[in-house]
Amino acid sequence: MPDPSAGPRDIPARAGAEAEVRDRVPDVETLSAALDAAGYLADPGLATALFLAVRLPQPLLLEGEPGVGKTEAAKALARVLDTPLVRLQCYEGIDAAEALYEWNYARQLLGIRLAESRGAPVTEEALFGPDYLLRRPLLAALEHPGPRPAVLLLDELDRADDDFEAFTFELLAESAVTVPELGTIRATHPPVVVLTSNRTRDLHDALKRRCLYHWIDYPPPERTVQIVRRRVPGSAQPLAVQAAAAVARIRTLELEKPPGIAEAIDWVAALTLLGVTRLDPAAAEATLGAVLKDRADQELARRAGLAGLVGAAASGGAP
Amino acid sequence: MEPAALAAALADRLHRAGVPAGPDRAARFARVLALLPPADASRLYWAARLAFVADRAQLPAFERVFAAVFGGASDPADTRGDPTAPPPVRPVRRSPAVTSRVEDTAAAPPAAGLRHGVPDAPGGPEPAREAVLAAAAPDERLRHTAFAELTPDEVAAARRLARGLALATPPRRTRRARPSRRTGDRVDLRRSLRRAQRTAGDPVRLARRRRRTRPRRLVLLCDVSASMEPYTRLFLTLLHGAVVDARAEAFVFATQLTRLTRALRGRDPDAALRRAAATAPDWAGGTRLGESLRRFVTDHGRRGTARGAVVVIVSDGWEGADPRLVGEQMARLRRLAHRVVWVNPRSAAAGFAPLVGGMAAALPYCDAVVSGHTVAALAQVAAAVRDDGGGTR
Repeated sequence: MPDPSAGPRDIPARAGAEAEVRDRVPDVETLSAALDAAGYLADPGLATALFLAVRLPQPLLLEGEPGVGKTEAAKALARVLDTPLVRLQCYEGIDAAEALYEWNYARQLLGIRLAESRGAPVTEEALFGPDYLLRRPLLAALEHPGPRPAVLLLDELDRADDDFEAFTFELLAESAVTVPELGTIRATHPPVVVLTSNRTRDLHDALKRRCLYHWIDYPPPERTVQIVRRRVPGSAQPLAVQAAAAVARIRTLELEKPPGIAEAIDWVAALTLLGVTRLDPAAAEATLGAVLKDRADQELARRAGLAGLVGAAASGGAP
Repeated sequence: MEPAALAAALADRLHRAGVPAGPDRAARFARVLALLPPADASRLYWAARLAFVADRAQLPAFERVFAAVFGGASDPADTRGDPTAPPPVRPVRRSPAVTSRVEDTAAAPPAAGLRHGVPDAPGGPEPAREAVLAAAAPDERLRHTAFAELTPDEVAAARRLARGLALATPPRRTRRARPSRRTGDRVDLRRSLRRAQRTAGDPVRLARRRRRTRPRRLVLLCDVSASMEPYTRLFLTLLHGAVVDARAEAFVFATQLTRLTRALRGRDPDAALRRAAATAPDWAGGTRLGESLRRFVTDHGRRGTARGAVVVIVSDGWEGADPRLVGEQMARLRRLAHRVVWVNPRSAAAGFAPLVGGMAAALPYCDAVVSGHTVAALAQVAAAVRDDGGGTR
């Protein structure tokens, strides 16, 4: 069924989101509150970016250091809109077969055999029809029947190569893909597309041009405390404050893998599980693997002095 | 003020400040304003930023223009994340010394025979290229004289030769596969099935796929400090050739590290060098080798630019500060990269021994050290880049 709000073919479908989506997300404040209720604390910039991605609609490219909450943002958005999150984890060498669709070859071979044994003729149209099509994430997101558009998350797009990026252009611009055997498939409810990148390489300009761009910074310590307390129920407030401050100090070191929000949450969860209420160098030493995941980084932190990083009093700190 | 006029005016200011903001972005800004009436300065800031900024590197320029246009109505620092995080480094512009030198007017196209695409068989075309290089420089003096002692005309000729030197890295297997006729370890199900239709559904002849190989990434880090002055333009021409032909990443450093890849794109070498001179503010400054290496590994190498790549460092190893930093950063770099090649023009001097300073600290982590100080020696650089022996990852 054609989308009634779409204009003539040559004008891109940016006529605005559908009525259902407009009701759910009337303004930025409502979206912020809804994200909060869904368990994700977004700062004003990210909330505005998600609002525009949903309402314009336009794909959103989220960049930032690992562990700042890019993937979580898409998950929370799907919860707010009450639609399924379709996730495609990109990696080097990913191609259309894994992203879009693939023919069910085993079933096709069996189909040929069955037809043979019955003596019935087998035609190519029958073999390459919708029954034998395996729908992968991109196609599933496009064909989502509604009532609201699905949230399509293309995670770590920078790990895929140029060929795959070129392949996603049509999807991003027109919310449609062309399958040689089946024709062009257009989305009845164009999905909300969120792309994430860890900046291991520059993405193509043509891709960036089609997207809204938002860089997610590490949050200030106060917000880290809020996030941690939300995600680790049962954590003590002073512990969370100390851990957030310690993580901020650890980030100033020259690390291979600076800790993000995910590491802060892991750390506080580990400390809470061990029954620690105040962070001291001994507790930090015991749980260092939860916050620093690289051996060289751990050595560096120990050399810099866990006592100083944890913020304990200067007397009797760890060597 | 009407949104359309405001959008167009802001786009124009941003474009002049260096943020690419075409009419599509201005139209997007107008749509955003229609959707999000800016009730306060913060909302206006975010509306403009989401509409116009396409990369983190454009943020400083955007914030300058926004503060200038809207009179500092919003303090961007409020909207940034962690207030204790160090601010992004802003290069201080000094007048580059390069543009005052004699420009090479005869930018003749390099000899056609010198350039071919990335060769499939690494060992094959090498002797041919050597022969062409030798033939193209009939003047023995040109071939074997250090760049520092050439006359400007000879510099121009040497630059043309350097431009033609094709740097090719060893190939690596990727995860993508492509159809192949006979060899190949994987079965191509799609093609096999189509063929099976000819044999009544029996997949008699299987089609195969083979993993594609791609050349490894090439990264060049060139020291442009005062001590490297005579070699700078030549090595920059080499960088330009690598960026254009081998899709390499190019960086220069003296007191700080600057990424030149974008500035060096484009066929015309002189225009590329002018753009490069405009981008790197610390030309012919002092040397901070260790600090620059640290910046490279932290900001670029660690993210993947140097991962599995062939890294070529062009420097005389002179370090103004503590050489231990050089050693530490070279250790980090060596863990990331496939191969590290050091080009040191001083190493060809009689009696040179890398005993002190940055060169000594870096030596254990280099797979090859070549001199690269003459036209003939540049061929050694290409050979070292192409060689796959002894690399890891």
